[in-house]
Amino acid sequence: MNRLSYIGARLIKTVLVALTVVLLSFFLVRLAPGDTATVMAGQAGFADEAFMKSLRAEYGLDQPVPVQLWKYLSAVAKGDLGSSFVRRQPVLDVILERLPNTLLLNGFALLVAIAGGVAMGMMAARRPGSAMDASMTVLSMVFYAMPQFWLGMMAMLMFSVWLGWLPPFGLETMGADYTGLARIGDIAVHMILPGVTLALYFMASYARLTRTAMIEVADQDFVKTARAKGLREGQVARRHILRNALIPLITFAGLQSAILVGGSVLVENVFSWPGIGTLAYEAVTTRDNPLLLGIFIVTAVLVGLFNLATDIAYSIADPRVELGR
Amino acid sequence: MRHFLRIFLSRPIPLAGLAIFAVIVALALLAPLLFARGPFIIVGMPLLPPGAPGLLAGSDVLGRDMAVGLAYGARISLLVGITSTLGAVGIGVLLGAVAGYYGGWLDDLLMRVTEFFQIIPNFVLLMVLVAFLQPSLSSTVIGIALVTWPQVARVVRGEFLSLRGREFVQAARTLGMRDGAIIFTQILPNALPPIIVVGSMMVGSAILTESALSFLGLSDPNLLSWGSMIGGSRSAMWVAWWTTVLPGLAIMITVLALNFIGDGLNDALNPRRRR
Amino acid sequence: MEPLIAIQDLVVALPPGADRAHAVDRVSLTINPNEILCILGESGSGKSLTAHAVMGLLPRGVSASSGHIRFGGTDLLALPPSGLRKLRGRDIAMIFQDPMAALNPVITIGRQITEQIRAHRTLPQKEALALAAGLLAEMGLKDPKALLKSFPHQLSGGQRQRVMIAMALSLSPKLLIADEPTTALDVTTQAQILKLIKRIQAEREMSVLLITHDFGVVADMADSVAVMRYGRVVESGATNDVLGNPSHDYTRALIAAVPRGESRLPPPAEGQPLVQVKGLTKRFSRGGFFSRAPAIVALDDISLSLSRGETLGVVGESGSGKSTLARCVIRLLDPDAGEVLLEEADIAHMRRSALRPLRRRIQMVFQDPFSSLNPRQTVGDILIAGPKAYGEDLKEARRRAADMLSLVGLSPQCLNRLPHEFSGGQRQRIGLARALMLKPEVLIADEPVSALDVTVQAKVLKLLDDVRRQMNLAMLFITHDMRVAAEICHRVMVMRHGRIVEQGPTKDVFAAPSSDYTKALLAAIPGRQAR
Repeated sequence: MNRLSYIGARLIKTVLVALTVVLLSFFLVRLAPGDTATVMAGQAGFADEAFMKSLRAEYGLDQPVPVQLWKYLSAVAKGDLGSSFVRRQPVLDVILERLPNTLLLNGFALLVAIAGGVAMGMMAARRPGSAMDASMTVLSMVFYAMPQFWLGMMAMLMFSVWLGWLPPFGLETMGADYTGLARIGDIAVHMILPGVTLALYFMASYARLTRTAMIEVADQDFVKTARAKGLREGQVARRHILRNALIPLITFAGLQSAILVGGSVLVENVFSWPGIGTLAYEAVTTRDNPLLLGIFIVTAVLVGLFNLATDIAYSIADPRVELGR
Repeated sequence: MRHFLRIFLSRPIPLAGLAIFAVIVALALLAPLLFARGPFIIVGMPLLPPGAPGLLAGSDVLGRDMAVGLAYGARISLLVGITSTLGAVGIGVLLGAVAGYYGGWLDDLLMRVTEFFQIIPNFVLLMVLVAFLQPSLSSTVIGIALVTWPQVARVVRGEFLSLRGREFVQAARTLGMRDGAIIFTQILPNALPPIIVVGSMMVGSAILTESALSFLGLSDPNLLSWGSMIGGSRSAMWVAWWTTVLPGLAIMITVLALNFIGDGLNDALNPRRRR
Repeated sequence: MEPLIAIQDLVVALPPGADRAHAVDRVSLTINPNEILCILGESGSGKSLTAHAVMGLLPRGVSASSGHIRFGGTDLLALPPSGLRKLRGRDIAMIFQDPMAALNPVITIGRQITEQIRAHRTLPQKEALALAAGLLAEMGLKDPKALLKSFPHQLSGGQRQRVMIAMALSLSPKLLIADEPTTALDVTTQAQILKLIKRIQAEREMSVLLITHDFGVVADMADSVAVMRYGRVVESGATNDVLGNPSHDYTRALIAAVPRGESRLPPPAEGQPLVQVKGLTKRFSRGGFFSRAPAIVALDDISLSLSRGETLGVVGESGSGKSTLARCVIRLLDPDAGEVLLEEADIAHMRRSALRPLRRRIQMVFQDPFSSLNPRQTVGDILIAGPKAYGEDLKEARRRAADMLSLVGLSPQCLNRLPHEFSGGQRQRIGLARALMLKPEVLIADEPVSALDVTVQAKVLKLLDDVRRQMNLAMLFITHDMRVAAEICHRVMVMRHGRIVEQGPTKDVFAAPSSDYTKALLAAIPGRQAR
């Protein structure tokens, strides 16, 4: 199957999957006892029947379910994800406002995790069973065992409160109104604590995976051949061992696509980072169904695209793989 | 079995993990005996540091005994961790075995379902489930089990797929064994090692997940868990470090112990003698 | 004559916990210039590790603890790693058993060859590629330019091994070490590769150290031979001397165990066929839902018949469909068309419930002794599994199991042991006992001795033949080795690409093959030329 038709087929599949997600979430969200009207009435302090009835009518919640579903689907097809009950803004706008922040944070964290993890894994694999190997393993296990939110709070305590090196909250300094390069710098500084917190957790997985992959590859016959050809150890390690060990890493990175969008709920919460994670939390606690559904749809589409990208990367890295299997 | 125990108990890391875990289990079981009045009783002034008279671990924002809270929190963490994992493993093994053994449309169906779980961010889905089922102990356990069973199913399916082609399984078919007997007596015993390893790691991650949920306030409001202790003392973090550091350490040590055990199980159950 | 390599008292220690202290125990060998020396031995003899020690490529945890390996004045064991690295690939080159595993799957062939050249010589990539193309042509490979850009998985097994040899020769080494270079290849390809090695050895006046387990290969290729067992050299000398006049008992046993390739069995008595296969066809589809690739036809209209008391051999190379045929006859696979008649009952398309009572009449012995027994069950449980599935009394079954073990030459005390406590040959005996527990009338043996050492092979073959005679079984014997087929089969059937190419009484097919393919298979048998 050539690459173009494969990409086309995958895009169609992504749409189908998103559709399934919409359908399932739509019904999932309706499982809850009580609905948005109840929550909003509770928040406003009013509880009387007439008020709730008018709320329901306003939001179309009193229509039969199939009608609601159909209305929703046709709107989504036009790119309209509805209106957030609570914020009274179009859902798509709200999401797009927050999405770049999450992608930035998670992207940064994944890069740091992969770079750090692969480096740690390589060092550990060089001499399996040694003190270096054991200490790397224990170190990565320690980070893997820490609750993310707690690690974030500890980091905040140490670097913001005690040492005062880094800002504790938010995307950028409030009221400072930086522009251009200064703004980028400001955001970058704010991103360090939450980003590294997030990264440390993933780093453990990448370190273990790299270590295992390198040890397994090092035992294979073609590595023996490389040595038999008289290549220097460095060349053997780079061109033969590492190159082949990277392949399972790409697969693993692909499996983490969902994390790119939704894996930072806790860290965003702790550091008040204005991203999709905090948005999702808000939507859940306020029963803001359109917003929640909107988040699911956008996530499904993004994950589908990211999976496609990793699959293509994988097929480039491993010539044995045929796209479209 | 003897061989397995010999390898498992011979390395320091799994042994340490086992010892630590045993202490925590003991603490959890003995909590109602040691601290009969429960963790919600106010015993003194709020935010007293550890070492204050009668308070081994200090008091929290409401003046409750931190040590009692830690002990009772252990019960919740272990309970949720173990039961949700058992649930996830039960579902995962059942579905994964059937899909891996019979293949065909059953397998395709399972693959689609697990793909769905891979696309939706698991934690967000969990939040939705727990919030909408009303936060409680059972909804937490059910929620975590529902969100994590696909991991087990994928591992089990893989094992069954590869074992199904092994010659001793083919031999069992030629000998006239029925499918059920083949699955339970031939394949499953050989598929157990990775299932056990995955299961032990899952208890640790279930504990982490539970603590995250309770930190965000999405857990049973009538129960005190380590995560809710941290969540409840966010405002006091700057001035009373023990209110957040101690519960967090408790979580970390428990999960670390479980991961050590899991690592030891992995080495003991895998017949790779290559060093 | 000054030897090229002199190995003196080499000792290679194994890590603690292995079943022996030494893999190689005071081995001394010499390889002269311009000669082929074969090291012959069964598995565990230390032949492969000796060769690896010369290159300094011993695996982790294994090292040469004493001895010398002299190469042109230097002791290879005393060289620092940098010195050894310079020799590797340039003065001494090595090729391995499985060419698919020995080539890096993600780098093109061209770059793998030029990598070696440029490790020892400064040469621009373009010129190195030209050199590589020339080498590939010299190895008899067509279209070298296209090959240079290909990846290993796109080539056949024979092509890959030729690439490995080309790579090894790229810097004109004085010694080529070949560790079982043809064991992973098809029979016809094996013969070609061996011929190639012999040709280049003569052309380049190079020395070759050839590791093998097959005496036929020794007869065809070697000037001198050294026989190894349990890490020691048991006998060595010029090939003709050792083969014609072996002085050690083990050498004699080895020579005697190699199947001659001459049929000794009389043609079978004409009887009522017990099993009849008519028009059997099996297709495997390729790819998933979107794939438009044509299906692979594994079996194309196969017909055969088998009577009680006779052994029909099915001979073919990999991909011939012989294993698929076995699995269709025993209904491990469902055929797409055709009939498999067991005395009038067509088991090919029966429903599973109707099939069950008939299943016990056909049983199978599998190929891989290391995966055909459930590692977590005792031998006793493995043996009674069949009777248990058919509802027989378990105590009675256990008693029969003990008898069955004696029949296959094992002690009844083995009932309580686990499979990993037994050797390959013993496990095959257990597999045979398991099959016989249901008192079948038809026995299908799928390459039952291919994974066994030569001396063990001979014993298991004899056991199979005795059992067939005693129980008057109809036996279908699958193999890729013509010599083995000759040893035990009354009639033989040659398969290729899913079709029957030739069939008839073994003596006739061997003496006067009618098809070219059969002729090629017979010609490819190692050792046939030398005799």
